[in-house]
Amino acid sequence: MTFPQCTHLHYQCLQLNGEVDLHNSPQVRKQLLNILKKNQSVLVDFSELSYIDSSGIATLVEAFNIAKNKELTLTIVAASGAPLQVLELTHLDKVFTLVNSMADIKE
Amino acid sequence: MLKKFYSLIESVGNFAVKRVESAGRLGFFLSQIIARLWMFRFPLNETIKQIHFIGARTLPLILLSGLFTGMVVALQFYDTLVRFGSVELLGAAVAMSLIRELGPVMAALMVIARVGSATCAEIGIMRNEQQFDALDCMAIDSYHYIMLPRLVAALISVPLLTALFDVFGIGGGYIVGVLSQGISDGAYLTGMSDAIVWHDVFMGLVKSLAFGGVIIWISMAKGFYLHIEQKQVGAEGVSQATTQAVVLSAILMLFVDYFVSSIML
Amino acid sequence: MTVASSIIEVNNLVSHYGDRQILKNVDFSVEQGEIRVIMGGSGSGKSTLLNHLLALLSPTSGTINVDNIDITSANRKTLTALRQKMGVAFQGGALFSSMTVGENIKLPLKHHTKLDDNTIDIMARLKLELMNLSGFEDLMPSELSGGMLKRAGLARAVIMDPKILFFDEPSAGLDPVTSVELDELILKLRDAMNMTIVVVTHELESAFKIADKITVLFDGEVAITGTVDEIKNSTDVRIQNLINRRPREENVDAEKYMQRLTTGRN
Repeated sequence: MTFPQCTHLHYQCLQLNGEVDLHNSPQVRKQLLNILKKNQSVLVDFSELSYIDSSGIATLVEAFNIAKNKELTLTIVAASGAPLQVLELTHLDKVFTLVNSMADIKE
Repeated sequence: MLKKFYSLIESVGNFAVKRVESAGRLGFFLSQIIARLWMFRFPLNETIKQIHFIGARTLPLILLSGLFTGMVVALQFYDTLVRFGSVELLGAAVAMSLIRELGPVMAALMVIARVGSATCAEIGIMRNEQQFDALDCMAIDSYHYIMLPRLVAALISVPLLTALFDVFGIGGGYIVGVLSQGISDGAYLTGMSDAIVWHDVFMGLVKSLAFGGVIIWISMAKGFYLHIEQKQVGAEGVSQATTQAVVLSAILMLFVDYFVSSIML
Repeated sequence: MTVASSIIEVNNLVSHYGDRQILKNVDFSVEQGEIRVIMGGSGSGKSTLLNHLLALLSPTSGTINVDNIDITSANRKTLTALRQKMGVAFQGGALFSSMTVGENIKLPLKHHTKLDDNTIDIMARLKLELMNLSGFEDLMPSELSGGMLKRAGLARAVIMDPKILFFDEPSAGLDPVTSVELDELILKLRDAMNMTIVVVTHELESAFKIADKITVLFDGEVAITGTVDEIKNSTDVRIQNLINRRPREENVDAEKYMQRLTTGRN
């Protein structure tokens, strides 16, 4: 069960819809690492995400780090509710680049 | 007067009931471990770690005790054989007594002293610190993850340790017989290889397997059931359990020794 | 059939240890997302109740439903699946002494999931950071202080983001500052992860701070289950004694007391 991908400007965007937990976070990892391997910066769309657990967060951390090392970017779009609380609890809201909506991505 | 009589019967009965319960627990414990042998995902890593702990780290002790046992046995036999003018039999005598009897028993005693006590204490402390409760709550099978590796490691290590004990013992006998007392080395070695048959070695192997199993089983069980069987918990309880484990393993081992000998001789 | 909203539902729980009755008809239910504190003096049965909720003990009679599963009659497979949604932080941490702190925390993940090693490592470090134990992952448990062991045990308990977290005496042996930090952590965990948290404790301050509801046990029975205010305003003498830390009343018989002092006999 893959997560939908699309393009926005020169970014690849990955839509995390529903929930990300132990069972599907490996799939998220696979897709993220694939995008980064092709040297594309990535937007992770949280707008339809209702729940994300530590395995999902850990996957994002790994991907963010790889992006940084390749001088690409990983941006989280439209985080709210429980997922936003998790980012705050783990202090990752100060590490990841967070943006309110796709409209804010201009270049 | 009658009251005292009744209370005496009660205490005898109580004692018997407790012993039977304890034996039942031991049997149940062993059956649970054996049932895990057929489970998927054999815990290889843990087993290898235990082989290192039970086998490799007991090696120095086995070396020393084997050597000295062999030397003593050779001295004793030499003294007797020289009276009958049959010193060429020294090699055979030392080897036979080591391989069939002394090797398995002495090696087992060394293992009890080093591994039995340490394992009982380790398991007992785990019980005290609620580590088994933690494993249960994490849905990790403690019989599969903790007990089985130790049992399999003992069944592999103890026969190997016994064999090495025999080798060092025969070597010790060589030192005494050939180097010290001047028997011809040829006589020592050929006398030995002539007298020893596969059945002797096989008997030693069966014994060492049985001993290894018994020692680790009793040691683990005594530690595992510490919260039920010992009067005190904490360090006191661990100390009591360890003492009982060592004593019970030794006695049971000697009983099994007689049992196997009577069947196989 | 009861409404399936209670994530823990205990009915008529009776428990014995040998011939001794420990719990007498305990009724108890916890809602999802609630923080429930179980309090009681020594011998009240609170640890026994906890052990029953964890399915470490079997009741003499009564039912215990956790996440809609009757744990008193569940088979092994069902119980295993349920246990992966439950985290338990034991009093002394209950870490395994032959592994590093990091390996201890990762153990449930290595056993039950097929996650990539990188993911598992980061998850463990996330939890260590949460517990203020960052950098300790390669130490052995024997190198940690009591407070650190507790936090490491808690990290392990929450590594799989459980639905229900059980906490056995979290404040015991902690200094007041760490204790307060732990309380804050409990509240944060509930808010961010919608965790249901059951805490067994005797620390009043912690209890009043974090509890949505408190269940007080006396002699194996539930004396009261209520909010912090309801407990504080309770008319039950035993509860007032507990809150005000009054020792039990002692009637001193002068002659008998002298006899005990001078002869050591009753």
